[in-house]
Amino acid sequence: MSIKGKVAIVGIGEVPTGRFPERTALEAAVTCCREAILDSGLKKEEIDYIIPTGHLADSRFNTDLIFSRLVEELGMGSHLKGNLQVMSGGASSATMLKTAAGLITSGQARAVLCVHSEKLGTGKSSQEVIDLFATLGIPSEWETPYGMHFSAVAALFTQRYMYETGTTPEQVAAVCVSNRKWAQLNPNAMFRKPLTIEEVLQSKILSTPLHAFESNVLADGAAAFIVTSAERAKEVTDTPVYLLGEGSRVTQYSISQALDMTRFGYEEAGKEAFRSAGLTPQDMDIAEIYDSYPVISLIALESLGFCERGTAGQFVLEGHTSPGGKLPMTTNGGMLSQGHTGAGGGVAILVETVRQLMGKAGERQVPNARFALETATGGTYMDIHVSIFGREPV
Amino acid sequence: MSQVSNPVKKPLPEPTHWSKPFWDACKKHELHIQKCKDCSKLIMYPKRYCPHCLSENLTWVKSEGKGVIYSYTIVCNNPPTAFLSEVPYVVAVVELDEGVRMATNIVQSDFEDIKCEAPVEVVFEDITDEITLPKFRVLK
Repeated sequence: MSIKGKVAIVGIGEVPTGRFPERTALEAAVTCCREAILDSGLKKEEIDYIIPTGHLADSRFNTDLIFSRLVEELGMGSHLKGNLQVMSGGASSATMLKTAAGLITSGQARAVLCVHSEKLGTGKSSQEVIDLFATLGIPSEWETPYGMHFSAVAALFTQRYMYETGTTPEQVAAVCVSNRKWAQLNPNAMFRKPLTIEEVLQSKILSTPLHAFESNVLADGAAAFIVTSAERAKEVTDTPVYLLGEGSRVTQYSISQALDMTRFGYEEAGKEAFRSAGLTPQDMDIAEIYDSYPVISLIALESLGFCERGTAGQFVLEGHTSPGGKLPMTTNGGMLSQGHTGAGGGVAILVETVRQLMGKAGERQVPNARFALETATGGTYMDIHVSIFGREPV
Repeated sequence: MSQVSNPVKKPLPEPTHWSKPFWDACKKHELHIQKCKDCSKLIMYPKRYCPHCLSENLTWVKSEGKGVIYSYTIVCNNPPTAFLSEVPYVVAVVELDEGVRMATNIVQSDFEDIKCEAPVEVVFEDITDEITLPKFRVLK
């Protein structure tokens, strides 16, 4: 059974990403849930499931999410059928959406509220966050003893990608500049000052060849989205955003066991998504690429068919992915500029995809956007998810 | 490497009953690779069952300890706490001539000799009585 046009996202909510010591993760969660419910046109009694994704900064709050805290905060105890955590790290946006779509198309839920709230910007020190991330997708027996950690993971695939494709440091840095240009137009972004290629390349080296400004920064943030059936979506909103295609691959756990760390699972996931949508890369008006590090955006552009192998860096350097370019990419500024909120970095990108197709993206609205591709990936790029959305259920 | 500047101990592998033969071989300064007796495929990292055919009929073969660097990075800043006093150090993924890949450190090598596809050979670092880590150096 094809998923094409069966479900739609009808409501979104988001709070600004950044460092907000006074804002608790609970407040951020309920604020964006409320916003998404009000945005959707649905009555909250129509929401049959809540899917909170994992929260990393505070295990006590994550336990609260698992044990239905939001049901009480949002007053849904009289009717809710399920509260279940779906956690796939950075790919959680996609796995929450897939789970919601399955619940709706199988008739078990009329509408599903998906939410993330994270506090990695102020809930932990930066060294604690480095140490925490050094446990995510990194085998304690086989890689941790060698000092493997997240910058090293990113540096390993960046190095190999540059070696195989001849992509230059300037071309890699251009991704950060493109994303920053979008973030300058995004009031929810953490970093909004102009950025140049020179500034990226002059920032300190974390792990060769990766510079500090080529690394995401962990932040506080929260976002929510509501999924319902295509039939109900048409009744409650003038701006439903339909899920048209889905593809995914889970290829490994640890970075050393990636079959090809210059491609990961993008090609297979992308083909599956385009095939299920009956669309091609040329049909896409926006590419909302998950961008925790710049080379992952280049790998995605090439493996998904937007650019030939080894040409994505020049494509970005020439400005084609920046505001006004022919392929707007990661239009919220992504994790490199909006900020990285753990499992929420991908949720922010999914919410931005929907916002663009709803026509609610303000200063950074891509004119006449009909179709958008969105990607999500978790941990050591172990899983690649590609979703295609459109304003019509076609 | 002084205890004063870095009081956090570096993490060590905690062998499982199925990985213990790997670490026992390292103690003897030999690199062993797990192999499935049913489907004949090599397995890295060691697994409880063969991940190719799910057989439990597994054995070990001795590696020549030679290979090439698939990718590498020189860690300069912002490492995990236990490695703060180690920088700069080199993390790499080495592809052994037998065809499997493993994460490791490149040691005893000039940084300028460390490149993708550079040939390497295993060296062993005795860390404790129980644990010897296989690392690699660039062959000139």
